[in-house]
Amino acid sequence: MKKNRLVLALGLILIALMTVGAQKPIEISFWSLFTGGDGEFFDAMVKAFNESQNEIVMKTDTVKFTNYYTKLTAALSAKNAPDVVVMHQDRLVNYVPNGVLMQLDEYVQKANIDLSTFSPAPLNSCKFNGKLYAIPLDVHPLVMYYNKDLMAKAGVTKVPETLAELISAAKAIQDKTGAIGIAADNTTATYKAYTLTRLFMSLLMEQNVTILDASNKRANFNNAAGVKAYQALSDMVNKDKLTPKQLDYDSSVSSFKLGKAGFHFNGVWMVGGFESQSGLNFGVVQFPALLGKNAGWTGSHTLAVPVQKTTDPDRIMAVMKFIDWMTQHGEMWAKAGHIPTRTTVYSKPEFKNLPHRAEYADAVKNTFAPPATHKWPELYDAISDSLEESIALNKDAKAALDQLEKKVNDILK
Amino acid sequence: MHLAGHTKRDIILFSAPYLLVYLVFLAFPVVYGIYLSFFDWNILSGKAFVGLRNFVQAFSDEKFKSSFFHTLQFVGLSTPILIVTGFLMALISVRPTKLGKAAESIFFLPYMFSTTVVGTLWAWLLQKNFGLVNQLLQAIGLKGVGWLTDPNVAMLSIVWATLWWTAGFNMILFSAGMKQIPDEIYESARLDGAGKFVTLTRITIPLLKDTTLLVVILQIIASFKVFGQVYVMTGGGPYGTTRVLVQYVYETGFNYFKLGYASAMSMVLFVVILVISAVQLLASKDDVQ
Repeated sequence: MKKNRLVLALGLILIALMTVGAQKPIEISFWSLFTGGDGEFFDAMVKAFNESQNEIVMKTDTVKFTNYYTKLTAALSAKNAPDVVVMHQDRLVNYVPNGVLMQLDEYVQKANIDLSTFSPAPLNSCKFNGKLYAIPLDVHPLVMYYNKDLMAKAGVTKVPETLAELISAAKAIQDKTGAIGIAADNTTATYKAYTLTRLFMSLLMEQNVTILDASNKRANFNNAAGVKAYQALSDMVNKDKLTPKQLDYDSSVSSFKLGKAGFHFNGVWMVGGFESQSGLNFGVVQFPALLGKNAGWTGSHTLAVPVQKTTDPDRIMAVMKFIDWMTQHGEMWAKAGHIPTRTTVYSKPEFKNLPHRAEYADAVKNTFAPPATHKWPELYDAISDSLEESIALNKDAKAALDQLEKKVNDILK
Repeated sequence: MHLAGHTKRDIILFSAPYLLVYLVFLAFPVVYGIYLSFFDWNILSGKAFVGLRNFVQAFSDEKFKSSFFHTLQFVGLSTPILIVTGFLMALISVRPTKLGKAAESIFFLPYMFSTTVVGTLWAWLLQKNFGLVNQLLQAIGLKGVGWLTDPNVAMLSIVWATLWWTAGFNMILFSAGMKQIPDEIYESARLDGAGKFVTLTRITIPLLKDTTLLVVILQIIASFKVFGQVYVMTGGGPYGTTRVLVQYVYETGFNYFKLGYASAMSMVLFVVILVISAVQLLASKDDVQ
């Protein structure tokens, strides 16, 4: 009896081994850049995908963010990149025109990925000349975080919706609790003060003004809207002193995390980190309509397929299955704070039950992407540096915008 | 040598691995860099020949000029301190006592860390609101300093971190030189009644002349190439006031996709370092004669 069982068990193991060998799952290589708080959620998703089926095995390699694009660019140049990569939407314009990313329309169709279930804005921003070159995994817009306990202590009962409300609420918090009124980084340290550019672009867009003109050839902010936007940013630091000078990104995040700031402007990627902070009672809303309508800068992580030396349709189809699964399971990715791109995810109970997400899911409707010019990385750095300098030195709006306009136009010419 | 038949082959064989690495990772990139500096290239598609345009552009580029100036600032601030500190460390560590041995290890230890480790470590220690240094200052009733966020202080913080990190290397060079000075010279000096200070200024320093020249040249070259610690600690900030040339070259090449222009700027730096090193070498040769 015992012997029979042993034989049976051995036989089963043998059969199992044979079937595994026979199916031979396709191994797909993949690079991701998620090293921060979102990394663990991402790895968990990839693991769940690998366990959900047995045809495809994703081999993830995470590259440190500061080196990611350097490494990726070199690999793309050598046509040596992995089968699928993560790429920020605003970087696509640096790669697509050079023909290093696969055009995906045909494969999307073959894989039966239902594009109508995607939010239109993030999907359209992955199209160039009407053709699709990447699939958006998420959007991660600029939002406003607020500390509920500090607001209550200061007697602020309403989440600010206008500039005047924001300033008076932040003042009340600063005066009555000693906390920072508005934590938004205005100085480069370990990270560049990109938040300044994101805020500036959002404040312009709230007045229906884009940062560059329609052709993306010239600066478009040295005007009344630009003055209002710059003044609002500068006043928070210089006139109302609601944001301390020399506040870098780490300080801005840490002070809010430790309950030492009333309001905080940052991307949604901090939601997960703030949730894990015990004793922090916070809320998060889309970027408020400080200067007009609601509009908020957004970034977006997309999944793109590098062009290889020889195109292997089987591998690309495997990649499409992976992309389909990842976007359909956006509720897992939403745990990191990011907003899923497929509308089918919003109705899932797993998504609805996540705290905070419903509060800012609205933001998707009012977000906009940075201008699609291959010079954006250089402009992004130059604008952030220039705004940082002007605010640090308390320049008036005219001097600040003249300098900024010259820098931007010099790069664009 | 009487082994001549063997040695030639052996020399080639034994140096082949290094020569190969040297050719592939040093000689080739240098030559290719010179070539690239005359082209417009975004790394992902074809190159276009532009003659000297990249060089002309560099000299009218405000960001290039300011980055170059910040590099010069760093060279000027860091080189003397690094050399003097390395020398003082060597004086302590060459003593044949247990303390000397311990000091040698302690002084050299930071040099073994990578740039990223050193940069991250000091970035955290010097962080304005939550860094240890400012916490300590505040604990004794002083005001915190914007070590990395105040434009008047940030470059000094980078120099400090570099000093902590690399002075140990200069110490090794100096102490190797010191160990080669024969004991008899010191002994006869002692017999002649020379004090410690006189021994130092009349014997140690003059006899270390060659070592000092080597240290100075190596240090100036190293300081000109500063990048990693700046990139990690200040990101070139506040508002670009610590952006150094190699950082701008890196950003131009890999973030802004202008490989040709980045190569041209590197060539300018290359020539500057070459000229400075040549002048130093020539000047010191005259001295010896």
